[in-house]
Amino acid sequence: MTIALIAAIPFLLAVIALPLRRWLSTSMQGGLFAVSLGGLFVFALAQSGAVSQSPLAFALEWVPQLGLTLSFYLDGLALLFVLVVSGIGTVIALYTGFYFDDAAKAGRFLAMLLAFTGAMLGLVTAGNVLTLFIAWELTSITSFLLISFYGDEKARAGALQALLVTGGGGLALLVGLLLLGGAAGTYELPQIIASGDVLREHPWYSIFAILIFLGCFSKSAQWPLHFWLPNAMTAPTPASAFLHSATMVKAGVYLLARLHPALGDTALWQGALVGFGLITLLIGAALALRQNDLKGSLAYSTVSQLGAFVALIGLPHSEGIKAVMVGILAHALYKGALFLTVGAVDHATGTRDLDKLGGLRGVMPGFASVAALSALSMAGVPPLFGFVAKELLIEASLHTLPLLVTLGVVVLSAVFTVGMALILFWDVFMGQSRAAHSEHHLHIPARGMTAGPLIMAALSLALGLGIGPLVTPLVQPAVGKEISLYLLPPGGINEAFILSMIALAGGTLVFATRGIWRAWALPTLPTGQDIFQAVIRQTERAADVVLHSQNGRIRYYLIVILLAVIALMSTAGLQNAVDFTRLDVSINGATDVLKIMLILLSIGATFASIVFRKHLLAALALGVAGYSIGGLFLLEPAPDVALVQFLVETLATVLIIMILARTSEAERMAALENLWMGSRTGLWRDIAISAAVGIGVTLFALAAVTNRPDQTTIAQWHMENALPQTGVNDVVASIVTDFRGMDTLIEISVFGMAALGILTVLAGARSSSAKPDASEADADETPIYNFAFSDALNRFAARVVLPVALLIALAHILYAGVAPGDGFTAGVIAGLGVALWYIVFGYEGTRERLRWLRPAAMIAVGLLIALTNAALPLLFDRAFFAFTLLPVELPADIKLASTTLFEIGIFSTVFGGISAVMEALTHPKEVETL
Amino acid sequence: MNVLFAIATGIMFALGVFQLLRRDLIKTAMGFYILFTAINFLLLAVGAFDGQIAAYVDANNQTAAQPSDPLVQALILTAIVISFGSYALLTAFIVVSSRRFRTVSTDGIDRLQR
Repeated sequence: MTIALIAAIPFLLAVIALPLRRWLSTSMQGGLFAVSLGGLFVFALAQSGAVSQSPLAFALEWVPQLGLTLSFYLDGLALLFVLVVSGIGTVIALYTGFYFDDAAKAGRFLAMLLAFTGAMLGLVTAGNVLTLFIAWELTSITSFLLISFYGDEKARAGALQALLVTGGGGLALLVGLLLLGGAAGTYELPQIIASGDVLREHPWYSIFAILIFLGCFSKSAQWPLHFWLPNAMTAPTPASAFLHSATMVKAGVYLLARLHPALGDTALWQGALVGFGLITLLIGAALALRQNDLKGSLAYSTVSQLGAFVALIGLPHSEGIKAVMVGILAHALYKGALFLTVGAVDHATGTRDLDKLGGLRGVMPGFASVAALSALSMAGVPPLFGFVAKELLIEASLHTLPLLVTLGVVVLSAVFTVGMALILFWDVFMGQSRAAHSEHHLHIPARGMTAGPLIMAALSLALGLGIGPLVTPLVQPAVGKEISLYLLPPGGINEAFILSMIALAGGTLVFATRGIWRAWALPTLPTGQDIFQAVIRQTERAADVVLHSQNGRIRYYLIVILLAVIALMSTAGLQNAVDFTRLDVSINGATDVLKIMLILLSIGATFASIVFRKHLLAALALGVAGYSIGGLFLLEPAPDVALVQFLVETLATVLIIMILARTSEAERMAALENLWMGSRTGLWRDIAISAAVGIGVTLFALAAVTNRPDQTTIAQWHMENALPQTGVNDVVASIVTDFRGMDTLIEISVFGMAALGILTVLAGARSSSAKPDASEADADETPIYNFAFSDALNRFAARVVLPVALLIALAHILYAGVAPGDGFTAGVIAGLGVALWYIVFGYEGTRERLRWLRPAAMIAVGLLIALTNAALPLLFDRAFFAFTLLPVELPADIKLASTTLFEIGIFSTVFGGISAVMEALTHPKEVETL
Repeated sequence: MNVLFAIATGIMFALGVFQLLRRDLIKTAMGFYILFTAINFLLLAVGAFDGQIAAYVDANNQTAAQPSDPLVQALILTAIVISFGSYALLTAFIVVSSRRFRTVSTDGIDRLQR
């Protein structure tokens, strides 16, 4: 249980970091999270005794149906990484507290950093490969966020590249891990490690091994996939120090070390790891020398070091594992401190360019000593920690590799690294003070900023001196066998020591002649960068092709959609063949004759709306069609529907007329000019599409009509249960407010959203009660149509109509259950009353006179009432939307039930919605032209 | 009767689609409105009962004659409301188009192209 907390706690801290940034200063935030991570470090350290006896494990069922578990596993190897992550994390958090000037920015940064810490700790404590993969991807994502933290173009490009490279590697890794799990018969890491013999003999060994290598090499920046790491230096320096040097880039090294017992010591394993590792080691060391940007140098030297680790894991007979573990500790300490020093230098001088820096020892004495100790550790000067690491590296390679390789690659890289380390210290802190930053106002770093790096530098010294007693207990459980560590070879001077001294001498020579080395045009090896760019280019080209199919013509899209509709309709019609025996062609009595006439009238009026070349006439014809349909509803007989249809039709006609008033006549005439004859073929094409849709729909409708069962439908059930269950006589009302109350709730939500949308696009996002800026309206060039049909009679009518409308609306709400009409009808009636106000008094006049009218608030209140009504029964252990009849006797046969509350909610939403539409359409605000 | 309703649904759909395909945005919006109406035709046509009276029950939960199908009515009610909301939103976009692009013709808004 407790070991799952190791990964969970940083995530929790990340969540509280965001709100905390409002109240805490930058340094307080840094201090708080440094203490938290420091606590985690101490906690992990306390586990080391138990872990060295036997590993800790914890599993949490995740999706038991699929056999997925989140399991955690803490052994010596995991613990070493936990200590590195939490320990370096403590220093980074402390440093961050002084790095950012802006508390909000620091909070955002710390939240991302803590999320990364959680992901990284999850990665190293993962007990099965699936948990590990999830954490692996989370580190890629948080790394993406941190690289792009500053948001400029370079940062975004670097972040995207890092994400694509490590994410692509992650995909390969996923497949590799799944195959590995399949081959081992388990996804749990301890069992996988135990079944090494089976795995190495497995026919798919080379496939999953190569896929896992791809994942690890991309993450740990091995040539030729190393190019993303230098480009990731756009991240804020604390993140670079943490992710891109001390921890995340070592995830690949960790996984290789983790799987080494299961997959290691084969020809493929040795060849791939030693081969790519050594190339990376040499290239990184050489390229580091040639960077002007200090962070670039550090990035390449990190690449070099990662190459060394990978090569060491590849050495036969686990010769290199001890050197890897010691190296990871040493590297995290000196490279982290150097990164933080560069961050402070950048902070103080505003530049990281080697050519512009120098002589900073006077102004930054603390960081000068940090840099001195760390650079000496990096160079491998005794008695610093880095010296021990370098000795172990040379020794391991001497034991297993041909001498020529050891000399030509390992020692040569060491020479370059020594040179680089000396440059990093000397050219920044010693020598002459350069003009560039003597002009620049120096920001002397806060004293606290030095604290963390000083601890790291001091540890580089202390752990070097006390290597035996201090480091052995940490590294031994990780290596998994008895080891002895010492500063100086016990048996006197040996070959490794001599080679190490040769590297120091050679490195000093490189440093002395650094001008030549830095200017010398090296042949550049091909890297994955070129392939990466080619892939990106081709992807963009493919995207272009896809974009060309999107020509932006609305009618083109419509035609595509409609053709799909025809296809769908026809298949539905074909699947459910029209049952011709049930086609009812009988005409019974006068009602049916009337119905036919109304159908013909609505079709005729609709046709007229198409041919009329004046919008107003077309709108009125459409109104006639709508009223005819209302008549049809009345004959059904469906009085509730008919009432709503008549009201909405009225409202729709008012709406379209207002639209006509708000768009310029010239624009409308221009749009009408090509109404028919864009081209003759276009007209025929449109007619053909329409006819095809019509025929398809007719077939569908015939199939629907003839396939519906009559008496067994749920409709009969509704008829029988409306009164007993909902206490209303109006069955339609009982369906709307109770049986299908959820439909209605969603319906009014949609309506409310549409109304708010209209308010937003036409009246701006400001609150509906705000008055439009008068000067803005005056400056408007285009004349805004003035709705004020303001004569005395109209004003009187508007004043009288609104209260009457509200009264009728109230009646509709109260008698919704027994008579036609409901909350929606009430809302439309009241809305029409308000519409009249907007027409007569205009926007300003109405807003001034009807101050209580707050459309957006009314929509919100209405939805809230409806939701409350639906949710209230839950408090009493009853179902959502359960019906309650209040035992209240009211005069005039009024019943109060939960549905009444719902009707009030519907009314408020609809009334508010229609008022919002009216307000938006009369709003004088000019929408800005693009 | 139901055949007539089915055919009327098809005709209304055809008219609506034709109207939808006009270049004039206002006519296009009207086309949508016709389609909304046509759907209600269809819902009405699939009503289960050939009703003689409205779907009301008396105090004893009885009806005097065959009532019309209440379910399709409830569905139509919902459809009408949502149709109106969508229609209003569409018309608002026409005003936006007129203000931003100085046109109410679909061909005028070719700026949508990338």
